[in-house]
Formats: sequence, C-alpha cells, structure tokens
Amino acid sequence: MTAYAAPHTIVTGQAGRVDHRRRALLVARLRLLLIAGVFVLVAAAALVRITWIGTVESAPREQSMAEALLPLRGEITDRNGVPLARAFPAYALWFNPSAMAEGGDGGPPLVKSPEQVAAELKAIFPDLDQHEVTQQLRSGRAGYLRRRVLPEDANRVIAIGELALELPRETDRHYPQGRMAAHVLGYVAADGHGRVGMEAVLDEYLLDPARRADPVALSIDMRVQGALEDELRSGMRSVNAVGAAGIVLDVDTGEVLALASLPEFDPNDVQSSDVRVTQEQYDRGITAPAFNRVTNQVYELGSTFKPLAVAAAIDSGSITDLSRRYGATPYEVQGRTIRDSHPLGASLNTPEMLIHSSNIVTGHIVDEMGAATLRQYMVDLGMNERPYIELPARGFPIWQSGEWSRIRAITVGYGHGVAVTPLHLASAYAAMVNGGIWRPATLQRVAPGQAPRGRRVFKASTSARMNQLLRMIAVYGTGRNADAPGFRVGGKTGSAEKPGNGGYRQTSLVSTFAAAFPMDNPRYVVVAMLDEPQGTVASSYQRTAAWNAAPIVGRLVPRIGPQLGVLPDADRDIDLTDLRPLVGGVD
Amino acid sequence: MTYQSRIRRIGWFAALGTCIALYALLHLKVNAVHADVVRAERQIVRLEEQNMLLETEFLTRSSQLQLAAWNRVDFGFEAPRADQFIDSPMQLASFGSPRGADAPQPIRLAGMTSGEDLPEFPKLVSPLTGQPLDERVLAGDEPDGRNVAVSLVAGPLRVPIAGAAEAAVAEVAMAGAATR
Repeated sequence: MTAYAAPHTIVTGQAGRVDHRRRALLVARLRLLLIAGVFVLVAAAALVRITWIGTVESAPREQSMAEALLPLRGEITDRNGVPLARAFPAYALWFNPSAMAEGGDGGPPLVKSPEQVAAELKAIFPDLDQHEVTQQLRSGRAGYLRRRVLPEDANRVIAIGELALELPRETDRHYPQGRMAAHVLGYVAADGHGRVGMEAVLDEYLLDPARRADPVALSIDMRVQGALEDELRSGMRSVNAVGAAGIVLDVDTGEVLALASLPEFDPNDVQSSDVRVTQEQYDRGITAPAFNRVTNQVYELGSTFKPLAVAAAIDSGSITDLSRRYGATPYEVQGRTIRDSHPLGASLNTPEMLIHSSNIVTGHIVDEMGAATLRQYMVDLGMNERPYIELPARGFPIWQSGEWSRIRAITVGYGHGVAVTPLHLASAYAAMVNGGIWRPATLQRVAPGQAPRGRRVFKASTSARMNQLLRMIAVYGTGRNADAPGFRVGGKTGSAEKPGNGGYRQTSLVSTFAAAFPMDNPRYVVVAMLDEPQGTVASSYQRTAAWNAAPIVGRLVPRIGPQLGVLPDADRDIDLTDLRPLVGGVD
Repeated sequence: MTYQSRIRRIGWFAALGTCIALYALLHLKVNAVHADVVRAERQIVRLEEQNMLLETEFLTRSSQLQLAAWNRVDFGFEAPRADQFIDSPMQLASFGSPRGADAPQPIRLAGMTSGEDLPEFPKLVSPLTGQPLDERVLAGDEPDGRNVAVSLVAGPLRVPIAGAAEAAVAEVAMAGAATR
C-alpha cells in the first residue's frame, strides 16, 4: 500500500506547508479509499463465492469410511445375525485380447500359446474346461473366462504373466451357505435386482443407500434350516421321491424358522434350467428347481386334515362326547362310496378314528357338524386364499366357492376336494395347537412381544383337547415313527393320491406329516411332505406317510429341539389319562 | 521517510512474513494430518474388506451342508438323545457316585500317553511378534521349577498375547511365591 504514497517534494514557506498538508490529506484519503476498495472487493468476492457455493456448486461429497464400507446391496442375515446373503467384492477373470495390441504392433493377444495358457489356468482352476478355454483364447473374442476368482487364485493368474488376462473387481452377491435356504433367499439376477425369494421382496430396501448399511434379519434360523434340509434330502433320497417340502413354524408368532423345498437350486450359480422347464417337462408334471413347493404348489394333503375337522366339530359343539362310537363300515354319499384303506372294525370313537385315520368316521363327524360349519372353519383358517407370507410365489388353493355339498364337505374332512399349500397346513396346525389363534406366517424376525394379534378360530379348550389327540396319534397311532423320545411330539400322517387325468392316480402319492412339539406346551409346528415317494427298503416297502414322512420328523425334532430351546425330558408329557381308556385296542 | 517509519515498515513486513510462514507451516501440518487420516481410513476399509472376505470364506467352508456331510460321513455324529441331557444339579452329582457291583465296565477310549512315541508338540508362535513363545511360560513353571507349590489348573497357562514372555514368567514366579 505504501507504494501508492505520493512522492515527497520539498516545498518551503507558508504556501508550501498548506500545499504539503493538502497533499498529505489527499494521499491519506486515497489510501483510505484504496483500503476501502480492497475490503469491498474482498467482501464482494466472498459474497459471490458464497452465492456460487449455495446455488451452483453441488454439495460437498463426504468421502469417509462409512461410504466406502457401505455395501452395494444390503446384507440378509438369519435371526441370529449369521449372514445368508452379502455383497461380496470378488474378482472375475476376463480375457481382453486388445490389451497387448494397444501398442499398435498388431501382434498376437497372448505371449504364450493359447494351449499353454489354458493349461496353466487349468492348474489353478481344476474344474476349468481346458478345451473350451483354449478355443476362446484362440478365437480372440473378449469375454469372461470365469465369473468368480478367489484372491489367492487371482494372484496366481497374475503370476502367469499374460496381459490379456484381466482381473476386474466386481461386486457380487454371495450366499455363504450355498444351496441352503435358496427358496427363501432367491437370487440376484444380472440386472442387479432380486428374484424369487426375499431378495425380490426386499429389493427396494436392500438397494436404498440410506438403509442398506443395516442388515435385514429374517426369521429363519440357519441351524434349523440346515437340519430340515438335511433330513428332508436324506428322507427324499431313501424313498426315491421326486420332491420334498418342509417347514418349521413358531406357533405363537407365525415366524418361519425353516422353509425348504427340494430339489433346490444354487443361488450362487443360477442356471436357466433352474428357473424354467421345457414344454415336455411341464407336460410330465416336472417343476423347475426354483419352484417353491411350500408356498406355491397346492396339494390335497389327505388325512392331515382330519384333526382340523375334529377340532371344528369339537369347537362347534357337534362332538360333545369323545367316547361316542360311529359306524366304520363303508357307506355311500351322493353316488360315491366313502371307504377306508383297510377295514377298521364295526365302529370307532373319535380318538380311535384319528389313531387309525378312518375316512368313514370322519365322514360321519362332518355329516353331523354340517358342511357350512366346516366350510366356515376352513375359511377362518385361511384355506380359501393365498397363504400369508412375504414371498412373491404363493399358490392359490383349489377351493370350491359357494355352498358346499355334503360329499364336498366329507371329502374336505379327510383332506381331499381342497388343495392347499403345505404352508396353509402349517398355519392351520399352529392355530389348532397354540390355543386357537390363527396368525399369518412371516419370514421377517418378530421382536419379542410384537407378534400380530391374529384371529381366534378355536376355543382354548378345543386347542387343549386337540393337543391331547395329536399326542395320542404319535404315541398309539400312525405317527409312532415320529415320536422322538423326550420331545413330546404330536402329529398326524396324511397320504393322498395325486390327481391325474381322469381321477386319482393310485401309483403316485403325496405323503405328509404335520406335527407340533412339545405337546404339553406347543411351540413349533413341523410339516414334512414327500412328493411321489416309492416303497423302498428304507420305508419297509411302504409308501404311506407313517413310513417315510413321519420318520423325517422323528429324526429332525431331536436335532432342532435343543437349538430352539426345547430340551428333551422323558419325565414330562401331556396328560393323556382321561383319553387313554377310550383307545383300548392299541398297544 | 524517517528512519523510524522505515524500521516500522520492515517490522510490519517481518510480522506479515512470520504470519505467512506460520500459516504455511500450519497448513502443511493440517494437510499432513489429513493425509494420515485418509490413509488410516483407507487402511481400515482395506482391513474391513479383508475381514469380510475371510469371514465369508470361513462361513462358506463351514456351511451347514458341509458340516452335515462331515457329521454324517466323517464323524458319525448324531443328535444327543433325551437321556444325554442333564436338567438338575442332582442328576449331575449322580454321575460321581461309585459304580455298582454288577454295573458294566465303563467304555475306555484309546489315547496316547507320554511313555509312547509321541510326536513333538508343535511350538506355539505369538501371533503378533512371530517369535516362538517362551516354553517356560507355556509349561507354567518357574524358571528353576522350585517356587511353584500349588497349581490350580493342569496343563499350560494362558498364553500372553503381547508376547511379553518375561513378564508372564515373573507373574508365575510371584504367584508361586504367594501360594507357598
């Protein structure tokens, strides 16, 4: 600023002093003006900058760890926080033939021969198709050689020393448990959106930048799911069944702890054959592995409906005396004969009917109750609508609308004439054993005390009675193979012939076991279902549920019980003393 | 311009220069710290990713399918039976009661004892220092083995993570002195 000072001149005399003072004043004013000008400029610049930042410039991007660690797609965990699906930074192996040609020398894309490179890759990835890779390397077409490469393998690929082998970092969806819970989780397709399972349901949530940092907890318990799939698979293989389905449901909250449908698919490596079938396969009744038999396929579930019919009869006041005997000889209703698989004597009471699974006696009970009453109970149990669960694939039941005829009600009583999903059955059984409250099933974890209120279908007294009857079936009846010692299992078998062209096919069955445990205070419902089981050595050449589905539950419950907090106790059981005298003829 | 005003002017310049220099120093320091923070953050991110990678690999290798296969084929494990659960302290205590006169012989399992050809026990290496840990610490003994009068637990002591072998030996010695 001093550079602007006026030159000093020597003026003498009065005039000179005045002149000097005037000059000094002028200089001072000039300096003041200059300083003020600078201040104004700085202020104006600041104002302009502030306006610029406020209006034009985008907000400052906060580059922090949190952002770098934010997954591209949220994590899905089981109820205990074990990751079931996560965004996973993976390497891919990409062949880029132009990488070497970028210098413009027009040389070959590879330093070594394609055969040699393929052989070296084969040494790293033993499952590689060497011939196919050699062809691809020779053709000079860019493309993936492998979609997923482990970091240590990536280092070995770099060590080959070929520039054309690139290892781009790709964020991938990885399912650490592999094929387990594939139908529950679904998979992420190439477009980055979920398909089939909870990946599709939660797609928006999992992609939302504000929420995807927090993992979503499902109601699934990984250990229970693993045990269910393991037992179903071995049970299915031992009887050569074409498919199997299973579900474990919490009776008090409606949470699904495990849900399995076999055959399954691998969400880490989804093939087109996993999600679609050819016309020929479709005509033969073959479904794609991604098809969920628990929530999407409807079956006539057979005798497992008998306890529901009995519960409706007890609840409606139609059965007041369990010792009352009904005739057990075949009889005709509207041109159709109701018969049992084998003669069960002249008459049976209600507990005997359940223990021996008599269609005829069920018919009498339904007849007395009335078709409209049974229909109303079935409606209350949600049998006339799609099952309540988050999954997108939910099968609509085959349900007779309007008033039911007598024969329709009787056949529904023993599980024919209405086709529902195994999930429908599990929810209905949960309502039957938990004190009578029906609740929708859910795949999302329910916080303690947050269970939905549900709707009352049965009285608590009916439910208590049904718990005794279900336990009796497992102790004295067809469910004996499911009676895991100490776990107080109760349940009902069901073996239904599958409908085919022109009536029921006697050669193909659907065998189901619907159970609950522990019956003195039911906490979990287990449904195991086998599609078209065959008679094999493992099932003593029997095809009915008592020999294939019930043993699955019998082996499953001891595995999952302690994990779910149900410890076996040989000294505890539900009190059966008032019903025991009614079933004299059993051992 | 007087001498005084010149001095004053130089003084102002010097003050300004000092301020600018200090400011530059501060600026450099701030930038250095910022760079450190960014580097540390990047390292954290990298470690977190590695952590996730390892965790995922571990989960994949120990998937339920794999465990079920091992249990079934390699180990033959089965779910515990009802009579294998203990529900009261009394039941637990009953296991300590002497064997009855006509009770069957308890099942004995094969094992190796020190008299046989034992393979050498692998040396434990500190995960932090990479050095083998002091064997005296692992053995839980005094250097000269005479000060320890009572040992509460059989077998090796807890291994100090920091690898401060000498400190742990000193502790053992003190414990030995205290228990005598």
